[in-house]
Amino acid sequence: MTSPTALPVMIEARGVEKWYPNGFQALRGVDLTVHQGEVVVIMGPSGSGKSTFIRTFNALEDFQKGSIVVDGMPLSNDVRNIDAIRREVGMVFQQFNLFPHLTVLENLTLAPTLVRQRPKREVEQQALELLERVGIHEQARKYPGQLSGGQQQRVAIARSLCMEPRIMLFDEPTSALDPEMVQEVLAVMQELARVGMTMVVVTHEVRFARQVASRVVLMAEGQVVEEAPPEQFFANPQHERSRQFLSQIN
Amino acid sequence: MTVPSLTFSRLRRELFATPVDSVITLALLGFLLAVGTAFLRWVLFQAQWAVIQANTTLFAVGRYPIEQQWRLWLLTGLLAAASGLCWGLLRGRGTWPRNDQLAAGILIALAVIGSWALKLELPIQLRWWGITALLLMVRWAAGRWSQALPAPLLRLVPLVWPVLYLVGMVLISGGLGLMRVPPGEWGGLLLTLLEASFAILLCFPLGILLALGRRSELPLLRWGSVVYIEFIRGAPLITLLFLGQNILGFLLPGGLAPDRVWRAAWVLTFFAAAYVAEAVRSGLVALPPGQLEAARSLGLPMHQALIHVVLPQALRVALPATVGQFITLLQDTTLLSLIGLLDLLGTARTVMANPEFLGKNAEVYLVLAVLFWCCCAALGLGSRALETRLNPLATSKA
Ligand SMILES: Nc1ncnc2c1ncn2[C@@H]1O[C@H](COP(=O)(O)OP(=O)(O)OP(=O)(O)O)[C@@H](O)[C@H]1O
Ligand SMILES: [Mg+2]
Repeated sequence: MTSPTALPVMIEARGVEKWYPNGFQALRGVDLTVHQGEVVVIMGPSGSGKSTFIRTFNALEDFQKGSIVVDGMPLSNDVRNIDAIRREVGMVFQQFNLFPHLTVLENLTLAPTLVRQRPKREVEQQALELLERVGIHEQARKYPGQLSGGQQQRVAIARSLCMEPRIMLFDEPTSALDPEMVQEVLAVMQELARVGMTMVVVTHEVRFARQVASRVVLMAEGQVVEEAPPEQFFANPQHERSRQFLSQIN
Repeated sequence: MTVPSLTFSRLRRELFATPVDSVITLALLGFLLAVGTAFLRWVLFQAQWAVIQANTTLFAVGRYPIEQQWRLWLLTGLLAAASGLCWGLLRGRGTWPRNDQLAAGILIALAVIGSWALKLELPIQLRWWGITALLLMVRWAAGRWSQALPAPLLRLVPLVWPVLYLVGMVLISGGLGLMRVPPGEWGGLLLTLLEASFAILLCFPLGILLALGRRSELPLLRWGSVVYIEFIRGAPLITLLFLGQNILGFLLPGGLAPDRVWRAAWVLTFFAAAYVAEAVRSGLVALPPGQLEAARSLGLPMHQALIHVVLPQALRVALPATVGQFITLLQDTTLLSLIGLLDLLGTARTVMANPEFLGKNAEVYLVLAVLFWCCCAALGLGSRALETRLNPLATSKA
């Protein structure tokens, strides 16, 4: 399936099954392996469990069966273990989830100063550099509510990067954006992939998947249906369910 | 400032649009005028303010020993300075918005008219003026020079209040070389404010903990909070006050039970905490769950996520309702008179029971109402200033 690489494994999910408290089974035995520097794009119809799946990687959701190992640390219920994993895994949400009561700069510096206990001056310097990288250097002293959606999402990416994570998770980062702002966010993500960040991205952006993804994973009804390099996945899908999905989004 | 002619045309449009409107407006106006003049006539010519003049000290501090009252004056001065400091810092920029001018005007008017109307003794009059002047001067200085102070120093300013509270406690009750004045001798406005401020200060953190407990994932904590909140909200305060007076004395042997004054203060605290918890919970509910998720996914442990992300936002939403609770609490202190404490109302009742001042209830109650109104208005104004201050996108409008 995947080309066997010498690069270390960053995420290893085996037979993950999850039931929500109401008894609904959202994940029915999902496997996924992500190597360092890979960009894995997860696609699938609404309700297929994509969000649930990537949210298990940083323990925002628990799971009942199977195992997940993130950057060498097996996920367990131990609080310290969970906090350690979250420090290494950044997450970008569909709704940005910036902290509205803090300035853009404070949004970036909050976690590194509190969690990593780095000196404030140094973190601010790094935050400004990151903001420059995502192209919103001038907005550092503004509040999130004063920025456009695209700008807010770029701040959210910068906020995650400021913790210097080894893995970045994206849950439909462009779905809440007006069409003209989608590209500016995708460009930032593309740049991130180019410098070698390990990324798992839930998205419906086919062009992004074609250009950036190492592999595309198609999920349906809580299971992985197909997993293939983008050229093959889009040109010549192997499964009926994939063909059906692709015809729907095109 | 609106242009007068504009206001006039608007008045005409809204109050005198049709003949019927005009008649209603004029009738109401006449009614208000009649009531107003009758009231004023009573205040100025009929009411006999001797009952207040003779008992000013009693209303203010109860039976607090006269030779120790300088401690209370000192405390009042410190409080005025601290209020002026925070008022000026909240505003910053050295400006006096219209509301501030209004507040300053009211303070000055109170000092001048109040001390004249009550025919206070000259030393007391002078102290009142001095304290008002101190407050306004500190407000002016703080507004003017706060920008020049370094930010870390400014962040320490709120600490003035807890420190001042402890200093105040020592000044009031004695100790550290000062003569002891037992709680039984505190009374009047002093006791009312003491009970209210003690309960307000403690019920706030307690309420936050209860609100968090109610949303906790640990069943024991959650159900404990729910039962506590619902039990307290289901019981009238007066029954709890009686219960507190009797049960605490019954449960704890002799010297261990806190004084009656403190027992009441604790009951007030635990009572108000349940209501504050509900106000805070409304703020927590209003917060999108994504905020906590974002904080946690950045690696913040739960307590830091709560302190830095969840509570600042939730408390801002909950602030108006919480201050509403504080105001209710202040008014609820009048119930203390029913369990035999000499708070403002309790003192008033002893004064009215004095044969010398028989039938002077109206005068006494009016003064009480004005005093309570002033305290509540101060709380309300403070909360509004804080609200604008806490809103990052507030288009600064006082
Ligand atoms: N808290 C919950 N309780 C019960 N069921 C839930 C809960 N959250 C999600 N589900 C269900 O789990 C399934 C998977 O949800 P999930 O959000 O992971 O889907 P998704 O693939 O991300 O969909 P979308 O593309 O709409 O975001 C859905 O059927 C959803 O209804
Ligand atoms: Mg989703």
